[in-house]
Amino acid sequence: MRLPPRNRIALDAIKAWKITAAINVIILWLLTIAGFIFSNIFQFSYWFAGIALLISALSTYLFIFLFPKIRWRRWRYEVFEQEVYIQHGVLIVSQTLVPMVRVQHVDTKQGPILKKFNLASVTISTAATTHEIPALLEEDASDLRDRISALARVEDADV
Amino acid sequence: MFEEKRLHPVTVFFNILQFLKEFALPIIIGLFTFQGKALGIFLLIIGAVFILILPFSIASWYRFTYRVEEDELRIEHGIFIRKKRYISKNRIQSIDLTQSVIHRIFKLVKVKIETASSGEGAEASLKAVSLEEGELLRAELKNTSKELSDFSSEEEQTTYPSDTITTKRLFLAGTTSGSIGVLLALAAVFFSQIEQFIPEDFFDETLKWVVGLSLIFIIGLVSIVLLVLYVLGIAGTMIKYGKFTITKNKDELFITRGLLEKKQITIPLKRIQAVGIEESLLRQPFGFATVFVEVAGGSLEKNEDFSTVLFPILKKDEMEPFFKKYLPGYQVEKKKLRSLPKRALGYYLIRSCIPAIVLTGALFYFLPDFLFLAGIFWLFSLLQGFLKWKDGGYWLEQKRLSLRFRRGIHRTTMRIYHQRLQSVEIKQHPLHKRHRLATIQMSIIGMLGGGTHYTIKELERADANQIFDWYSYRKRADFKR
Repeated sequence: MRLPPRNRIALDAIKAWKITAAINVIILWLLTIAGFIFSNIFQFSYWFAGIALLISALSTYLFIFLFPKIRWRRWRYEVFEQEVYIQHGVLIVSQTLVPMVRVQHVDTKQGPILKKFNLASVTISTAATTHEIPALLEEDASDLRDRISALARVEDADV
Repeated sequence: MFEEKRLHPVTVFFNILQFLKEFALPIIIGLFTFQGKALGIFLLIIGAVFILILPFSIASWYRFTYRVEEDELRIEHGIFIRKKRYISKNRIQSIDLTQSVIHRIFKLVKVKIETASSGEGAEASLKAVSLEEGELLRAELKNTSKELSDFSSEEEQTTYPSDTITTKRLFLAGTTSGSIGVLLALAAVFFSQIEQFIPEDFFDETLKWVVGLSLIFIIGLVSIVLLVLYVLGIAGTMIKYGKFTITKNKDELFITRGLLEKKQITIPLKRIQAVGIEESLLRQPFGFATVFVEVAGGSLEKNEDFSTVLFPILKKDEMEPFFKKYLPGYQVEKKKLRSLPKRALGYYLIRSCIPAIVLTGALFYFLPDFLFLAGIFWLFSLLQGFLKWKDGGYWLEQKRLSLRFRRGIHRTTMRIYHQRLQSVEIKQHPLHKRHRLATIQMSIIGMLGGGTHYTIKELERADANQIFDWYSYRKRADFKR
């Protein structure tokens, strides 16, 4: 792999990811509890509910405690005059090059969780792919958006 | 062409036919599921619907008008909600004329107009206009300034290169198309559907009859069925690609094909994203291949292929002259591919054997007597994995990238220009890291505004980096800062 890009994303991304993961995991726990109740009522074997419990516990650890940190450590980006260079991944690390001349539009997005931490994500779209830089400080995100969109204005011969 | 025009009245018939096609299945299912009184009511409803379709079809035909005005094609349609669509001439990418069998009886043609933008409603289609009207319309919409085009077309018409498929080749394309597999699958689906409508003792009777026959007769019967399917497959290919002709215009490729349904396709050279050469398992040993192109945007109708076939069958040594003639930019002088490292073979073998592992497990659990079947499956899986590894590779030139990979039974070679690649990604997981391998994915614009992605798994890491560097718009020195 190449030298990673220079810039990291906001540190609060970890918190935001943990909250998002927690919401999903809570649903899993609710299902597990429902499984136990049903097993009790209908005299099922507790095997299935037990497996569900295991899965819930494992995903709680992985998705809330382990992955967000690794994910943040891996997430890097760098914007050059000619292209955007992104690296991300938890187990599988991927590095992506998006040339400015191929960028069609750039958006910033902010959900309620990101809003709480004053974060926003930047989405870069080409004619074939979309790439998201998930959590930047609000000002950084809008600066980045403006910068990419200015750099992307370069005319290309034909598309 | 200022006056409003309507489509040919046969359109009414087309509308009804389309409706029937969509509802044929529920109607048939209904006929079989309802019984007694319910069946009567069901038939009554169908009857009522049928009586209603006719006026609706006529109304929708009557309300559909089109005209060419102020350099725009203006279409107005809709029975209750009037819809107007104005398509400006210089936005039109291609105009395709298609003739189905019914079209040909009435000397009609379907006109499909595609614009550069992708997504729904990007195109318009006139279901049935007379042949001359269709050609007139095309001439009208194609040229922004008419006088100029009249001159140039007169002069250049004779020099346009063109090729038509020979009957011999067409037959060869049919025999090696491998569509027998598709037909077998279709036949299987058909029988599994029809099975429920056959009385049960029919099977018993047939079984008794079959058991009573000699083995040789059964083998003969099976061979005949296979032969018939094979011949049908040949016929299907020959009908589809019959009279296949490719013509090169100034900046477009014209393709006409089809014996029964005549299709005419226009490919603007500017919209070609990549060129591919596909060798199926049956054709590879004979040195034959199919040439296709990936075209950006456009619409994807039902039953239409994802890629546009430029020529159904070409011999290896005819390939480069063909490109020279029709797509000069895509000619390749030498074809020495850089293949995958030996270390990658393991990954390929294991990946292709996963279905075999599952199958073996299932057989072991459910049908231990048939475990030997798994052996055959393993053999095929290993072979497929090996071939995938052997065929994978790439070749870099200054401005162009060639990729080769195997998907199913097809070995595909893509030629893509640097400027057509939308993004490039390299991926590595911890095992890859240890083996110094990397996976690379390249994206180009595909149909329907989505992307088409090409992945080569487990390349030598240095090779993946080389492609990455080659793709980067920065100077290479920048990378090693």
